[in-house]
Amino acid sequence: MFTIGLFGVLTRRNAVGILLAIELMLNAVNINLVSFARFRADVGGLVFTLFTIAITVAEVAVGLAIVIVIFRVRKTVEADHLDLLRG
Amino acid sequence: MRTGSPVLALVVLWLPFLAFAVLALVPPLRRRGRAAGVVGIAAIGAAFVIAVATWLTAGRAETAVSASASWTWPWIPGDGGPMGTVGVMVDELSMAMLVLVTLVSLLVQVYSLEYLDKEPAPGLGRYYVYQSLFAFSMLGLVLAPGFLQMFIFWELVGLCSYLLIGYWYERPAAARAAVKAFWITKLGDLGFIAGIVMLWGATGTFDFATLFEMAHTSRAPLDGIETIMFLIYLGAVGKSAQFPLHVWLPDAMEGPTPVSALIHAATMVTAGVFMVSRAEVLFALAPTVLEIMAWVGAFTALLAATMACVESDIKRVLAYSTVSQLGYMMAAAGASAAGAAFFHLLTHGLFKALLFLGAGAVIHAVGTNDIFRMGGLARAMPHTAIVFLVGTLALAGVWPLAGFFSKEAILGGMWEAHLEIPFAFLALTALLTAFYMFRVVFIAFFGRAHAGGHPHEPGWLMRGPLWVLAALTVAVGARYAAMPSGEHHGPAWLAPTSLALAAAGFGLAWATYQRGVIDPAWLVTAFRPIDFMARRRYGLDALYLALYRGVMLAFSRLIGWVDRYLVDGVLNVLSAASLRAGDLLRRVQTGQAQDYVYGVAFGVLLLVVWVQFWRR
Amino acid sequence: MTGEALAFGAVAVVIVAASLAVVLTPNLFHAVMYLAVALVATGVVFLLLESPFLFGVQLLLYAGGVVTLAVFAIMLTERLVGERIAQTSRYIANGAIVCAAVLAAVLGFLAGVPGVTAPTPAGDTTPAVGRALTGAFVLPFELLGVLLLASLLGALHLARADD
Repeated sequence: MFTIGLFGVLTRRNAVGILLAIELMLNAVNINLVSFARFRADVGGLVFTLFTIAITVAEVAVGLAIVIVIFRVRKTVEADHLDLLRG
Repeated sequence: MRTGSPVLALVVLWLPFLAFAVLALVPPLRRRGRAAGVVGIAAIGAAFVIAVATWLTAGRAETAVSASASWTWPWIPGDGGPMGTVGVMVDELSMAMLVLVTLVSLLVQVYSLEYLDKEPAPGLGRYYVYQSLFAFSMLGLVLAPGFLQMFIFWELVGLCSYLLIGYWYERPAAARAAVKAFWITKLGDLGFIAGIVMLWGATGTFDFATLFEMAHTSRAPLDGIETIMFLIYLGAVGKSAQFPLHVWLPDAMEGPTPVSALIHAATMVTAGVFMVSRAEVLFALAPTVLEIMAWVGAFTALLAATMACVESDIKRVLAYSTVSQLGYMMAAAGASAAGAAFFHLLTHGLFKALLFLGAGAVIHAVGTNDIFRMGGLARAMPHTAIVFLVGTLALAGVWPLAGFFSKEAILGGMWEAHLEIPFAFLALTALLTAFYMFRVVFIAFFGRAHAGGHPHEPGWLMRGPLWVLAALTVAVGARYAAMPSGEHHGPAWLAPTSLALAAAGFGLAWATYQRGVIDPAWLVTAFRPIDFMARRRYGLDALYLALYRGVMLAFSRLIGWVDRYLVDGVLNVLSAASLRAGDLLRRVQTGQAQDYVYGVAFGVLLLVVWVQFWRR
Repeated sequence: MTGEALAFGAVAVVIVAASLAVVLTPNLFHAVMYLAVALVATGVVFLLLESPFLFGVQLLLYAGGVVTLAVFAIMLTERLVGERIAQTSRYIANGAIVCAAVLAAVLGFLAGVPGVTAPTPAGDTTPAVGRALTGAFVLPFELLGVLLLASLLGALHLARADD
């Protein structure tokens, strides 16, 4: 699931699409953490997963807000066109 | 051997330097022309008095060979004692030179006050600065206790020559002549410094006293001594205008006449002869070099005499005459008769300076150097004519004037060393010497006066020195005529022969130029090949110019090319390469975030691979 | 094969299929829907791993909140021309190769890990989580609150920056 998410990050053009792929990657990590909790009888894994979910939600919110602002300013959300960092 | 007081010698040395320093550091004084002259003259006058005092108070030394004559101070440190010393060495050789240098400098500086009276005051001040510096340099050279100090002052003297020849620096001919003098003597100096350093390498010292002692006790390592002494001799070749490095001396006449009298007759050019005399003990260890010296000297004498016969510029005639007489001196040194050489140096210094100053008086009066534009000056300038005649007779070697004795000593020395062919050269030169000098006398001083201008006697500032020198020439000659020295060289027929040669030269000149019995053109035809070559200075100047243009400038162009394309090229390539590399690398920064994620993924990959494979 | 393993296998297939669909489908709306499926399936995995609490959290926050947000974002960033949000992906081959390499690396890494025996399940873990949150992990918990507040404010500000 992680690599599929990575594939999505690398290939998606639309910024929102990239964010969706990032969600996949994060979920993969969550599964990993929960399985650690289950197979090691350690409740810390569950706590950690909780934290990541919460943080991810916050990140998505802010990220999508940024995408909206970019759309307002540049009238596009295609990653290919957002190359202001170009050296 | 008599040695003098080092303290007095030091005073003599530093007085002109004091004048130089004062004039150089106090511009307002210097710019007032005649005031600067007074300062210079006062210093050199005092120096002369003390030099004479040094001579008179010299006592006899107990040690036979050396060293109590010198005072030295360590200068360059080295292992086991100083590597280089400076100081003074006051023996007969240097005391005689002290008197000569200070005397002629004094007379020349007094003479210059009137000769250069038309110069702007700042220029005159500059002249006296150079004169004082020159006096200091020359005195330092003759007082040097070792090769190192001698070389330093040798170069200083060369510098002063450059400055004084190029005194009228706005004239291109003068500037070129100054540079030429500097270059040509520098060629000789290359050999000189190489020789000195090699000598030091072989013996570990520059000091004369030590070196002479080593030579006497045969402790000096002898291999390579021939090469070393030849290289040192090269310095004398340049400075004393031996063939083929004589070409700078005629051109040096671009300088003011008093300068020519001082440094190109009596003092600077004699530095080479002085050096050879000083180091005669060392040269005695290298007989091949001595032989070369004798042959080159004799050849130079003859060559220069032929060139003097066809010159129409009075100063150039005297210049070639100086070259010729220097050849005499070096030939004598080569014949191991360094004493005769030095004797001739002293007498020649007197009468050549006299001749130059006399020529200066004539030039100052008539306004031209060309003898064919002068004529009948004997009537207009009787004093000058008389002193010039005295000088001419001395130069031609007529008894009882000084030149006769010194020339005879040289010829005797040559004969006794069994150097017959050089002897023949020198004998022929004696004839030519009389001929060309009387040629000048007859054309310039006798004959019809020229229409333009009204020449008159110079003032007493110029006439005084002339009379002093003339009197000295006669006095020295009289002294030697009255008390012949014990060292009488040569067979009995030598004296009459040399007188006969002089008479022959005089007769030829008289017949040709005074009486018009022999047509000069006929002489030219009779000696056409020599005349042709002499007029073109035997092609030497052209050769040097071609060498300079061809070799040196080509070499400079090559170096320039290397510098531009190789040295700079490397740098340019490096910088261009780094610019290109930068350009290429910046393409990594695409600005697309996803490309950067690629980079991260790749990094993770590498990390995992590293952990998996390399850490096991 | 145990029932647990069988169930996990089935859910895994669903997750992989849904993920592929998320990254490959041209239509973004469809991508969001598939994401929702994948998220729910992940929650089921949590359930299978004996943490029902997390299952609930996942459904609430992810499948509910994130998906809603994504839908809104897509709506708001649609071009005014009204074209369907179709898209092609860039450089699929490069991406595939790199991702396959990463997958291979990770799996290779995991292959070297010794197998783990499953300890007996400890029953309902929810109270334990609660105790942990207010006990050992209370500080991160509070900070999390601060973070959520900050992101809320940030998103609000960004969303109205035009005024």
